[in-house]
Amino acid sequence: MGMRLLPSVFSLAMLWAVGGCKPKAAQTADRSEILIGSTLPLTGSEARIGGFFKEGYELAFDEIAKQGGLDVGGKKLPVKLMLNDDTSNQATAVNLADKLINSDKVDFLLGTYSTALVEAQSTVAEQNKVPYVNGGGAASEIYKRGYKYIFGALSPVELLGTTLMDWIDEQQKAGALPRPAKIALLWENTAHGKDFRKGISDFAAKNAGGYEIVVDESFELNGKDFSALLGKVKAAGVDLFLADAHLPDYITLHRQYVDARLCHKVVSYGARGSEKSAIEALGIENVSYVLSGVWWSAQLADTLPLAKKFVEAFKAKYAGRTPEWFQALGYEAARALFTAITQAGSLDREAVRAKLAVLKMESLLPGGTLEFPADKGGEVQNLFVVQQNLPDGKAPIIFPKSVAKAVGVAPNPRCAQ
Amino acid sequence: MDRLLDMALSAVLLAGLYATMAYGLGLIYGVLRVVNLAHGGVIMGGAYLGWYLHDRLGIDPYLSIPIVLVASFIVGVVMYQGLVRRLPRGPSGGPASLLLLFGVWLVLRNIAYLVFTGDDRTIRTAYSSSSVEIASSHVSVNRLVVLGLAVVIAVTLHLLLRRTQTGRAIRAVAQNADSCTLVGIDVNRIYTLTFGIGSALAGVAGVLLATLFSFSPNSGSSELLKSFVVVVLGGLGSVFGVAVAALIVATAEVFAILVLPAYLTTAVGFILLVLVLVLRPGGLFGTRVLS
Repeated sequence: MGMRLLPSVFSLAMLWAVGGCKPKAAQTADRSEILIGSTLPLTGSEARIGGFFKEGYELAFDEIAKQGGLDVGGKKLPVKLMLNDDTSNQATAVNLADKLINSDKVDFLLGTYSTALVEAQSTVAEQNKVPYVNGGGAASEIYKRGYKYIFGALSPVELLGTTLMDWIDEQQKAGALPRPAKIALLWENTAHGKDFRKGISDFAAKNAGGYEIVVDESFELNGKDFSALLGKVKAAGVDLFLADAHLPDYITLHRQYVDARLCHKVVSYGARGSEKSAIEALGIENVSYVLSGVWWSAQLADTLPLAKKFVEAFKAKYAGRTPEWFQALGYEAARALFTAITQAGSLDREAVRAKLAVLKMESLLPGGTLEFPADKGGEVQNLFVVQQNLPDGKAPIIFPKSVAKAVGVAPNPRCAQ
Repeated sequence: MDRLLDMALSAVLLAGLYATMAYGLGLIYGVLRVVNLAHGGVIMGGAYLGWYLHDRLGIDPYLSIPIVLVASFIVGVVMYQGLVRRLPRGPSGGPASLLLLFGVWLVLRNIAYLVFTGDDRTIRTAYSSSSVEIASSHVSVNRLVVLGLAVVIAVTLHLLLRRTQTGRAIRAVAQNADSCTLVGIDVNRIYTLTFGIGSALAGVAGVLLATLFSFSPNSGSSELLKSFVVVVLGGLGSVFGVAVAALIVATAEVFAILVLPAYLTTAVGFILLVLVLVLRPGGLFGTRVLS
């Protein structure tokens, strides 16, 4: 019996050896298209933002299609996006990634949106050694696991805190804010919030004598009552009110902040503040002069050529709508993957991963370049842009100066009213 | 001292909110012995109906309460007649009703996703940011209204159960449904009515919550949990017990910040729940009969 099996085993071994020795370029030459798999939360709690990322992905794929495909080793290959709905659910995102890799046989993966989903899904990519480029996972914890196949186009939230503090520090040095400035630091009890806290507290520690964090509290998501927390802030007599919250908590927290007639020289809710829905919910009179830090703004089109090109292409495709950072990051993640594939000149996953690891390309992101530094686990480190809500409903970029559209106002004029 | 006064005021206002959310759940359990897991879904539905009436038809959220009340009542009646009524009574029906009503909640949530998408919504009126000064503290007008309505609902429910023929029938059925059948009370009608009233109260809670917070189809779970804590603490089936339990939970949560980090304050209610279940399983004011 054992002897009868030998020829079959030998044949299989030979087949495997022939396949294994097949040159990588020949594999690419045999291919008629590139398959890129992705999941996005198109339904469920993150459906709105998932839809935005889909628009960014589709625009990037449309552009490649218009160019006749992607140049891989001198041959133009069409690129196909296999997009599934992960329903905003971690388990579904993981299962679908596994299906895309092992059943649909995609070449590479583009990531989903939200820290929780990216964190779970990227493990599947890592286990299968498939390059995974995402624009939807910002928490630095995702990139501290020693993974080699994940690349993130979204800067860590820690840098959001740092960028905000950079602007505040300028105001302090100009005499617009007191020294030392007392800070109330409120953060949601998530990886996002912890990163924000780290950015602010590290900055304050480095600038000892300039800042004093007197309230440092976290809160649970979807809170209903922040009155006790705000009472603590009120009692501490702080100058700067710096919070990190998702949209529902921003609305609830700021409503109660306004009800309590609180006002501070600087008010920020991290990445929140300039959203149309939040302004409608809170009233422009109540959110004027709130600072927000975002990964990208359409206002960058005036200073970055690629951002301008993206905004024009987006408006042309989507009935004149102005893109937000979600679409821009989806688009940029796809573009980074395309660039690495072209540079690798092959569909070999290892070759593309190696190119992603050393990639340095012109970008529409603040700073104008994109790279995935290995010492940061493959997460980009571009600065944020700081916007400030104005009473006329606009939210111009006020920092960094190189891309600023207006001069930021401090201290908060609302407190004088 | 000012801060303590601020905190006491906050606790009372928060209690109004918790009580409003919990009345419906308490009433349904008190009479039918069914834990209505669809309660969170009906709260979410009430919030969307209030939002729709305000956003599309310009009806003030407080003026829309009668419409939401009737609509939620009908939803409750349909839910009972179409689903809950078909479940076996007694201990064997317990797990079945939990699963069924949890399923109803998921259906309601997904309908909301289909119709309204996952976007966060809010109701903003001219007075959304208005506050009044009470003892040197600024208090939101909306929160005061919610507190007022919480008291009105408690008194109305009490009067309904104590002073009307229907209320007496409800209490009788809560005591012993089989005996009620013998004396000619239409038990099925009472169950239907109770489920309808409980759902109507959940719908009203939804529209009141929508005046204070943003909401999405995912809303309702934290409201259900908090309602559960309040109802168990107050004693399943006691209207005023619910109101007092809401005040206890709110006070504990608000004052906990003096000794605990803010993120742990929401856990205080659950700690109270465990303590009550261990030390006094019938609740602090528990009675089997609605009062």
